[in-house]
Amino acid sequence: MLANIFVNTLIHASVYALLALGFSLTFGVARIINLTHTAFYMLAAYLIFTFVGTLGLNSALAILLSIVLVTIIGMLSYKVIIEPLHEHDTTVLIVTIALALAFQEVMLILFGGHFRGVPSLVKGFVTFLGVRVTNQYLVVIAVLSVILVLVWLLLLKTRLGLAIRVTAQDREVANLMGINVSLMSMVTMGLATMLAATAGALVAPIFILEPRMWLQPLTIVLAIVVLGGLGSLKGSVYGAIIIALVETLVVFLVPMGSFLRGAVSLAIMIIILIIRPEGLFGVSFEGER
Amino acid sequence: MTGYLYHLYQAFKEEILFLPSRLIALVGIIALVLLPLFSQSPYTLKVFTLASIFAILAASWDLLSGFVGQLNLGHALFFGVAAYTSALLNLHYGLSPWMTIPLGALMAVVTGMLVGIPALRLRGQYLSLATLAFPLILTGIIYVFPDFTGGELGVSGLSRLSNSRLADYYITVGLALGLGFLMWKITDSKIGLIFHAIREDEIAVRAAGINTTKYKLLAFAFSGFFAGISGGLYAHVMRLAGPSTLDVFMSFQPIIWTAFGGIATIYGAIIGVYLLYPFMEVLRIVPEYRMLIFAVIIILVLRIMPQGLSPWVIERIQKECPRCKRHNAFTRKTCKACGTSLEKPSLGGDSFKLEVKTSE
Amino acid sequence: MLLEVKNITVDYDTAMLLNDVSLAMMQGELLSLVGPNGAGKTTLLRAITGLVRWDRETKQGTKAGNIGLTGQVLFNGEDISNLPAYEIARRGLILCPERRRPFTEMTVQENLKAGAYLYPKHYAGTLDFVYHLFPRLKEREKQISGTMSGGEQQMLAIGRALMSKPKLLCIDEPSTGLAPLIKRDLFDKIKEINEGGIALLLVEQDVALSFSLSTRGYILSHGKIVAQGTSQELLKDETVRRAYLGL
Repeated sequence: MLANIFVNTLIHASVYALLALGFSLTFGVARIINLTHTAFYMLAAYLIFTFVGTLGLNSALAILLSIVLVTIIGMLSYKVIIEPLHEHDTTVLIVTIALALAFQEVMLILFGGHFRGVPSLVKGFVTFLGVRVTNQYLVVIAVLSVILVLVWLLLLKTRLGLAIRVTAQDREVANLMGINVSLMSMVTMGLATMLAATAGALVAPIFILEPRMWLQPLTIVLAIVVLGGLGSLKGSVYGAIIIALVETLVVFLVPMGSFLRGAVSLAIMIIILIIRPEGLFGVSFEGER
Repeated sequence: MTGYLYHLYQAFKEEILFLPSRLIALVGIIALVLLPLFSQSPYTLKVFTLASIFAILAASWDLLSGFVGQLNLGHALFFGVAAYTSALLNLHYGLSPWMTIPLGALMAVVTGMLVGIPALRLRGQYLSLATLAFPLILTGIIYVFPDFTGGELGVSGLSRLSNSRLADYYITVGLALGLGFLMWKITDSKIGLIFHAIREDEIAVRAAGINTTKYKLLAFAFSGFFAGISGGLYAHVMRLAGPSTLDVFMSFQPIIWTAFGGIATIYGAIIGVYLLYPFMEVLRIVPEYRMLIFAVIIILVLRIMPQGLSPWVIERIQKECPRCKRHNAFTRKTCKACGTSLEKPSLGGDSFKLEVKTSE
Repeated sequence: MLLEVKNITVDYDTAMLLNDVSLAMMQGELLSLVGPNGAGKTTLLRAITGLVRWDRETKQGTKAGNIGLTGQVLFNGEDISNLPAYEIARRGLILCPERRRPFTEMTVQENLKAGAYLYPKHYAGTLDFVYHLFPRLKEREKQISGTMSGGEQQMLAIGRALMSKPKLLCIDEPSTGLAPLIKRDLFDKIKEINEGGIALLLVEQDVALSFSLSTRGYILSHGKIVAQGTSQELLKDETVRRAYLGL
């Protein structure tokens, strides 16, 4: 039981962390609440299904292709549809939801509404604390964690990362440092989408695919971002771990727990909003904007 | 008597005829009133009856979120609470719709207050996220007490709103236009001015000594009341009140309709619903592509007209007088009210000149 | 001629902020730009460094985006009027903005590192220079900039701007909110920067202090240049003194 909880938490934590990080980045740098974010995650998963399942492509190639394709779609959506509207907050919210809805409907038309599965990329299992854990899980956890670390290094140690962080702090002054702010927004959007796509591509074999699979992760990402603090990258990662842990505990320990999964994240979000709106590491945007 | 009629006619000419947008609105209203002459099919009437109900809902959302700027992502809360209240009062106590609907609306107001008081401590995006969660939590509670609330199936077997589809139609259309006009008048009043100011710069309003929390709560109350009326109407027209009334999509629909029609205008919300809702029904002939077409249209329209349809159209058929701010038809060259030229002023006209002697 | 500003006019949604403003600066000069509150001094700096254009681009389509901008700016002979702000910074025209605007969540060192974005290879050398100029910053290297005093933040802001290796550094009201002693010290440093070969366009409220450093000055009022000349001339002219310098 403990091992199950541990493994499940790790899987969910790494997926959520990747999703929340991308979401936070987009918000921090491009100043956009991108509700299409988790839809990209869904797109990547469906692409894996098509490449591996229908076309029989090699797994590694499939993953690479779907990540690249979805990232391109993400950046195009941003450039053509979202960016021109970025001053109109409410409109951006609606358009990003409409976009996610559009993607959902296209998936529905192409693949139907039944649940789909993708064969594991890695076969076999190991035994951990007396419980069988499929190797697929281990691969996912390992790869996602490595990516998280790489992103961390990118943000903290590279010149590009510096530009991204600076733009997130103060867009106007970033201009004065010689930083091309709109290019940074574009790059960040690409990075964020890439993270979402990676998560989608990797979990395709272990989660169920269906056209509405972007909705629940979206509410969870929102809860994480509120918990961690809107605009805080560190907060997104910690928030992801906490929420994944609480969720898994509820699912495993509370009877009928799986029905409460979404409610748990929401409840946490409300509580945080009431007692400490800035979240754990929130940066308050007082006066700015 | 004729003098009075003449005045009325003059006012009509001034206020409505000479502004293209109001003329269009008048045509629209007449069309709605005369619709049953062209089609008495129960289906058409029902579609427009529901459209009217949703028009009230959307306008109530616009009042709170568009106008006062408190972006409410959980508007379904008011709708659902009122629907359920009306339904339960009707089912268990046999009260007629004329009583249950106002009572349902009052319940929605109370809920709005209960939600508003903690939520209003939050600002901006945080407020929005909190509002999102409340109807979902209520949904959960509803599932926990299925005996009382009917659980998944909801409360059914309710009385009709009136004796005929036609009467239903006229009642809802009348309410939509009437309440819509009322809401618009609110935004046009002193209270409306404060609402608008709060959206633009709340800190400045507070600095002027106005208790913004009180006004925000008032906005929640108004919004909740009108949304509640639509919820009660819905229950009696559909003769059913179920969890779908608290759905996330029910919260999002008014937002989409209003954004499409024009945020912060009230009439934009109403126009948006009357255009989109019947259109969506028409799309039922291509069920697979229905939602997709809907989503694509939203994206296209908002991409070209970020502030919605109405502002975009108005900008093209009317000009605002730079001095007295009155709207004029685009065909005019001078303002009807104050006579100033409506052409864009050239730069350097009013520049402040000061001569100072310096050596150079 | 280092900087030539020709007939700049800026209006934000029918409120005219700058009306046909022209000015010129030579290499290595220290120029003062003074005037009453609301005269448009900050707007002029923003127009020169491309921020007004950026405002217009980003706020396009909203009421706030109704910004009109005409005129020409030449920097080192190149027409930069239509360049985006970051390109202008890359050419060595750097702005140290009003109210300092440090990256409040980052440390002093990180702020300076950010300033060196354009010249990462020169980071160490320029850093030395900045620390030599402002030893206080070295002391507080690891401190979060948001927790520093006004004077320290101003030093940081100027230091950060210096990290971008400016040929012309515009400083917007550095003495705001500072005690006289700190002001004096700061202006000594500003003078030192200028003596090191960097041209300075200094916008200031404290006219006396500003004119004590500069050779020439412009006086801006209600969006128009109302007086210009050597600092001596301006300080002596009676009308100027009374109307604009509050002397």
